[in-house]
Amino acid sequence: MARNKFDIDEELDTKFDFKQLKRLLAYLAPFKWKVVSTVLLMLAASAVALLGPLLVKIAIDDRVPNKDYAGLVTLAAIYLATLIFNTICMKYRIRTMTYIGQSVIYNIRKDLFVHLQKLPFSYYDSRPHGKILVRVVNYVNSLSDLLSNGIINLITDAFTLVAIICFLLFLNLKLALICLAGLPVLIAVTMLVKNAQRKSWQKVSRKQANMNAYIHESICGIKVTQSFAREDENMKIFLGQSDDYRKSWLSAIKIQFLMWPFIDIISVVSVTAVFIAGVRWLGTGGVTVGIIIAFISYIWRFWEPVSNLGNFYNAIINAVAYLERIFETIDEKPLVANLPGAVEMPQIKGAVEFKDVVFCYEKDEVILDHVSFKVEPGETIALVGPTGAGKSTVVNLVSRFYDIVSGSVEIDGRDVRSVTLESLRRQMGIMLQDTFIFSGTIMDNIKYSRLDATDEEAIEAAKAVRAHEFISAMPDGYNTQVNERGSRLSVGQRQLISFARALLADPRILVLDEATSSIDTRTELALQEGLQRLLKGRTSFVIAHRLSTIKKADKIMYVEDGRIIEQGTHEELMATDGAYHKLYTAQYRLLEVS
Amino acid sequence: MAEFKWVWSYIKKYKYMFLTAMFMVIVVNLLNMVNPIVQGWLVDKVIKGGQTELLLTLAMILISTTLIKSVFRYIYLNLFEHVSQNVTYNAREAIFKRVQELDFEFFDNTKTGDIMARMTGDMEAVRHFTAYVIYSIFLHVITFVSVVIILFSINATFTLTLLAITPVTGILAVKLAGKVKPAFTAIRNQFSMLNSTVQESISGNRVIKAFAKEDYEIYKFSRENAGFKDRNVEAAKIWEKYLPVLDSVAGFLSVVIILVGGIMVIRGNITLGQLVTFNSFIWALNNPMRQVGWLINDTQRFAASADKIMALLNREPKIKSSEEALNGVKVEGRVEFNNVCFSYGENEVLEDVCFKAYPGQTIAVIGPTGSGKSTLVSLISRFYDCTSGNIFIDGRDIREYDVRELRENIAVAMQDVFLFSDTIEGNIAYGIPEVSVEKVRWAADMAGARDFIEGFSEGYDTIIGERGVGLSGGQRQRIALARALVRDPSILVLDDTTSSVDIETEHTIHQSLSEFYRNKTAFVIAHRISSVKNADLILVLDSGRIVERGTHEELLAKKGYYYSVFINQYGDFDKELTGAAC
Repeated sequence: MARNKFDIDEELDTKFDFKQLKRLLAYLAPFKWKVVSTVLLMLAASAVALLGPLLVKIAIDDRVPNKDYAGLVTLAAIYLATLIFNTICMKYRIRTMTYIGQSVIYNIRKDLFVHLQKLPFSYYDSRPHGKILVRVVNYVNSLSDLLSNGIINLITDAFTLVAIICFLLFLNLKLALICLAGLPVLIAVTMLVKNAQRKSWQKVSRKQANMNAYIHESICGIKVTQSFAREDENMKIFLGQSDDYRKSWLSAIKIQFLMWPFIDIISVVSVTAVFIAGVRWLGTGGVTVGIIIAFISYIWRFWEPVSNLGNFYNAIINAVAYLERIFETIDEKPLVANLPGAVEMPQIKGAVEFKDVVFCYEKDEVILDHVSFKVEPGETIALVGPTGAGKSTVVNLVSRFYDIVSGSVEIDGRDVRSVTLESLRRQMGIMLQDTFIFSGTIMDNIKYSRLDATDEEAIEAAKAVRAHEFISAMPDGYNTQVNERGSRLSVGQRQLISFARALLADPRILVLDEATSSIDTRTELALQEGLQRLLKGRTSFVIAHRLSTIKKADKIMYVEDGRIIEQGTHEELMATDGAYHKLYTAQYRLLEVS
Repeated sequence: MAEFKWVWSYIKKYKYMFLTAMFMVIVVNLLNMVNPIVQGWLVDKVIKGGQTELLLTLAMILISTTLIKSVFRYIYLNLFEHVSQNVTYNAREAIFKRVQELDFEFFDNTKTGDIMARMTGDMEAVRHFTAYVIYSIFLHVITFVSVVIILFSINATFTLTLLAITPVTGILAVKLAGKVKPAFTAIRNQFSMLNSTVQESISGNRVIKAFAKEDYEIYKFSRENAGFKDRNVEAAKIWEKYLPVLDSVAGFLSVVIILVGGIMVIRGNITLGQLVTFNSFIWALNNPMRQVGWLINDTQRFAASADKIMALLNREPKIKSSEEALNGVKVEGRVEFNNVCFSYGENEVLEDVCFKAYPGQTIAVIGPTGSGKSTLVSLISRFYDCTSGNIFIDGRDIREYDVRELRENIAVAMQDVFLFSDTIEGNIAYGIPEVSVEKVRWAADMAGARDFIEGFSEGYDTIIGERGVGLSGGQRQRIALARALVRDPSILVLDDTTSSVDIETEHTIHQSLSEFYRNKTAFVIAHRISSVKNADLILVLDSGRIVERGTHEELLAKKGYYYSVFINQYGDFDKELTGAAC
């Protein structure tokens, strides 16, 4: 898999596509009646608002010259009533549109997140996590303004525009056509810059992702940075990222702002043209002084919605740069997914069989090369061999974290692909090489594998893995707050907690991948005893380098270069004088030599 | 107010750009007044008065003022964007700098997502404020003030009458400002939580899948996602109370025109012409009043975010170089712990630790999980300060050194391996980016990593994922080891660096390192006897105390903790081997 790093732009090759907007509109569908009612209300509000100038005009032209006090009071009262109506409409609009906008954002974010949960390891492994994060949080947020104000403005402005165009055409056809001639010019100009504008916003979104990825990684790796006193170098890199973002923003905005001078100039030219034509045609074809004056006063009202629509257009171009990233993620096909017709895995007895399994992460890099083995229920299998030989891969395939290229992996005689992932993994307790501690209490972390477990059960599991002693020695005991970086916990302690977590799952198959590498041998020994009791009748896979951990296994498999080259019990393998024998005696031999 | 002072300290650096832009705002605002006047002439003189010879001149004025105006506007919009991008660039730099300075304790207690939120979402509010809000406020204020001055010159009494409703706007604005700030703070807090939850579920994706806990993650996420929506809707409930009212109060000016203005004209206090002029300027009064609410919203949104950013910036790192720190000292590597105690809050981690280490020596630390081994070595690099006692390097208290220079002399391979999403070469060269390719290869070789690296189709240029995904635990540890070795430090700290490496490889690594150690002080934490037995001094740590010390032979003779560990690992070995031989 081609990996991306923070300073490599994630390219995306799609044409500007209105489908993105259609998908966005689909999110609005559940709220369509609310949108319609708000639009109607806003149209009513703008119609009522048109009354205002009229009322003032009547007052000045008629009531005042006639010294009509009562008339003035009436007009003032009507005006007041329009204001009250306006207040109500605006209140309704703010309330509904915030609600709709936020609900749509909520739904898009939820769809994105739910989909991310379906994506396999390889998705997360092939790009910096900061780039995934920015999509879920920041990109989705950037749609907020478009959704809460943009849509309503679009519809009301479009209505206003149509109404004014009709009115202008009604006033005088020829003058109206002169005025409207500006529009195609404006549209042509926007089409001309559209590509540049779109590319520039795509660049902004990429640079933003790069910068976020770098920030994220810098925070996660801060301890390394400080220990290597590399702050200055990192600052340089960060400033480079930050500067790229700044530059991309400024060049995007430069194109975006071009819209305004164009609208200004085209509108003023068309107004002047109306003046010139009006003067020339005065007295012919129904052009009167009154018509020209009326025309001039409405012509600006024509350009106002045009300019608003331009604003909306800009917002759309901007939003599409984010939308296409969001939908790209939602459209990412999960490589490992439930197959059609997948059934629930019944309670696992624990027989595991690999039949001629071939597996590669990348096409030409074979990781497992025709691996076959059989495990009886309740057996403990130890996998040994050099690092990178494929031991972790074998256990990852049991849980179907990856799909194999050929052959089959079967549990209790069922192909793992024929059952649902959830029902399969729920019955496995897996302790991975990298421990991950969630922010919360230690208790939360142990219970993570079985949320409905009682405190007693969790403590029982902690006791079994010898984690209870150090946890209860902490001032807050099981309620001690920990976080991702496992604050205040040593790596060994984190391993013990994840061990307890794996055990609490009450798994039918337990996988321990270097589960105890950072735990001292004495604790480990004590832990093994507790474990023996718990593991009775359960199949378990153990990967370890410490041979004391391995010796007692029912079956030891020696993995090298993606093949199992030896398998058998400790005694059997020791008798063969092969790779395992060499490995085992090495620890003694090496102790002597040095 | 502190928020505005803070942002001004950044804008100040670009004050000329900023003031030029402000000046252009004024010019554009004045030009805005020209067009209606010219249009008035066009109507009055050309169309009504028939002076067609003026047509072209006036048309040219109309077009050229618009041209100048739109060019100016284009420039000032871009200038404000420049200022705001520069401000956020510098503010991000300040945060990044502060984050890099903060101590381990801060990171032990702060979520990654929270820090991310400061540099992304909160920064966006600062950007919007400096790019748009400030000049909008300025624009509305100058429009309002200049029109008030014009109207005053026409008729003071009527102007005062119109202004009589401004206190209402003022009171509402102040109330809104007070109410909406906590709402924005709540949104920002929730944003942090959402960010942290999503961030953790991405980083923890392996564990989530391993336990099939996707649904639980979705549940946790949905809670924060819904919270974010709710906080936003709640904030809207506050401004839906104020904004429409503010809007109508501004509209009320026209009611005053009709009623009071009308009556004043009838009574002869003002002329009809004056009333018409007043009415034609009314937009310049009510528009700013209308915008007050929105601008207050934007301002408080900024203030809430600025508060959060400032809180992070004001966070003082506990570990700092002293004022008169030593500079440019080359450390030889004599390390002395003198009655060192260390505790995390109430939790005592190290108690009364004393030992001395000299260049050329290897000090091994062994002991149960959680006994304080990693803490002990992390004190040497001053990742934490000891609670009492002293640590001396070359006879000087480590607090006398410049922290960064001290750390430059120490290379640490941490237990918790963190690799960066970069090439393998980039990762190994992390400590010295300008190091030669040969040195990188040499370090990889020393760390026993050369074979597997060269086995990759892209070799040293292979990009590895964040945290080194795609590599096995043992491979990651060896890259981290190579990264430490490249530094060629005076003091080398290997914290359980080979626990996931197979025994034979480990043995080879230790053999090649023994030459490397010659003039260095090395600290090795390990669980395997094979990794520690050749050390010059082995310290056995239990519950934060050194319970045994000596060489391998001495400690075996003591028959204490070390001996029991040895028996655990090798005890039945002889028996078995001899048994197998029989």
